[in-house]
Amino acid sequence: MIAVAGRSIGTKIRDFIGAIQNSPRVLVGALIVLCMIVCAVFAPWIAPNDPSIQDLANTLLPPMWSSVGSRQFPFGTDALGRCVLSQVIYGTRIALQVGFLAATGAAVIGTTLALAAGYCGGKVDRAIGYLVDLWMSLPPVVLSLTLMVGLGTGVGNVILSIVLVDWTRFCRVVRSEVLVVRRKDFVSAARLLGFGHLRIVLREILPSVAPLIITLFTLQVGIGVIVEAILSFVGMSVPADTPAWGMMIADGRSDIHAAPWVALLPILAMFMTVLGLNLLGEGLRVALDPRLRNRDAR
Amino acid sequence: MFKALAQVALRRLLDAVPTVFLLSIVVFVVLRALPADPLALLLPPNATQADAAAMKVAMGLDHAVPVQFVFWLRDAFNGDLGTSISFREPVTTLIANALPATLELSIAGLALALLISVPGGLWFFAVRGQRKEVVADLAIVSMLSIPTFLWGLLLMLTFGVAFGLLPFAGRVDSDAILPSGTGLLLVDYLIRLDWRNWLSALSHLALPATALALGFSPMVIRVLRSSLIEASSEAYVMAARQRGLSETRVLIAHMLRNAALPAITLIGAQLGFLFGGTLLIESIFSFPGIGNLMVQAVRNHDLPLIQGIVLVFCITTLLINTLVDILYVVLNPKLRKSS
Repeated sequence: MIAVAGRSIGTKIRDFIGAIQNSPRVLVGALIVLCMIVCAVFAPWIAPNDPSIQDLANTLLPPMWSSVGSRQFPFGTDALGRCVLSQVIYGTRIALQVGFLAATGAAVIGTTLALAAGYCGGKVDRAIGYLVDLWMSLPPVVLSLTLMVGLGTGVGNVILSIVLVDWTRFCRVVRSEVLVVRRKDFVSAARLLGFGHLRIVLREILPSVAPLIITLFTLQVGIGVIVEAILSFVGMSVPADTPAWGMMIADGRSDIHAAPWVALLPILAMFMTVLGLNLLGEGLRVALDPRLRNRDAR
Repeated sequence: MFKALAQVALRRLLDAVPTVFLLSIVVFVVLRALPADPLALLLPPNATQADAAAMKVAMGLDHAVPVQFVFWLRDAFNGDLGTSISFREPVTTLIANALPATLELSIAGLALALLISVPGGLWFFAVRGQRKEVVADLAIVSMLSIPTFLWGLLLMLTFGVAFGLLPFAGRVDSDAILPSGTGLLLVDYLIRLDWRNWLSALSHLALPATALALGFSPMVIRVLRSSLIEASSEAYVMAARQRGLSETRVLIAHMLRNAALPAITLIGAQLGFLFGGTLLIESIFSFPGIGNLMVQAVRNHDLPLIQGIVLVFCITTLLINTLVDILYVVLNPKLRKSS
């Protein structure tokens, strides 16, 4: 039994690596995400300036290739004379931190409830299903804004509010997959061998739904980045002295006539990050699903 | 058929009642967990402790949270959602004035989204297996990576600021007189045959509605494509081809009709997304709808207003779900026959 499982996992990993190598989407997506992670981790070394220093002599300075631009500020400065490029580079920290932590929280809560609902069925399933429906009867943005009012601003609370809103994404999709897996022969076999419920759920069912969770997780990181930007755009996220893309976009919006570059660079950074995560997630979905792999792999 | 429709509508609406009730409780409790004191915004800086206590009593905040909720619920049943803290006007008046703008925007956004995504989905399906599919695929993933509010800003930057083609603030020219009536400006001005203002309202609607549509359509295009792929392996497609119908005819007259059914369910489930998108779009384009009102209420910690708007969002989302279910019954021949 164990030998069989071991071999199949080994084959799976080899298949998986093979599929990734043949998937330009995964490679390009991973490359973009990696660049963003490098930016976030090494921000102090990459950024040309301290993002919080205000050079009031050089406010709304255009990018350096313009005739009045300065080399000191490659992408110009904002209304307070802060370096736009440095702010965007430091902004990756908040974006990725919120994206990854919120996705982890949502994945843990959503998957746990989905496993409980799908495996137990009956009343547990109905109760969790009702909770999901209840949550989904409000647009997610409205729910997270309301939660932010109750929780108060700050990075921790942004993460918490995204977790509290987006666990339903995992729960709904993973639950229906658990319902399918639960009826598979290897689950019945495990049950006949006398394995406990917890062991069946954790050792037999969870590995089968893991590819789905990885895909959802990647896409959810992108959603988290967007929601953080939305919240900081509205002024409900991090304190004003922390560089965040949404806040930069909101600030840039008021100077959009005079200095469009202030808003454009964070917009571009956000687009690239989410695009990278979407490419990675979509690619993984195909690469991890043997049925799709043979049909769709290019 | 009407009996089946009535049954579906009634069942969905009955299901919605406890949902609205429970969600109201959740929101009420969440808002009372507020760390900041909403009273601080209301009181003048030189207010005394006694003033604060009097204000607390006047607003009913001196009771326990469950008691406050019962009071709120009682008033809500009588059509009174309290008074906005920041606007000092009844919440119902504020919402009633703002809701038509949001509805008009959402409907325009949905219509535009369908105009973009039905041909888009057909094209995306038609290029499958060709080299063009890679391009189409990349275009869709890129579009999916631009959230609605960024579309709003990008459209504003290009068509509003750079080219100066379209207005990007408000619903209508600032000197126009708002007509009374449905509150949907395009309808009201049309009834009055007031073409100048009708065009003004239309041009003000163009950018925010397009932003909503662009944020929503990649999802619809994808759903439509996979429904079409599903439909393409059905026997009736083969039969239609064997009858010698052209490929376009098969696609539009036969497959699209059948693919529409699963697509509508999935699109319906996502309509809340479109509706939620109005929140930031209205804020960006200074569009006086409930989304804009919500953003202001959140910034001002205006608890009664937030609670009221959330209630409206919840009820509207549930009504949309009911409508989608009804549409599903109308379009599904299987369900029609069984009644």
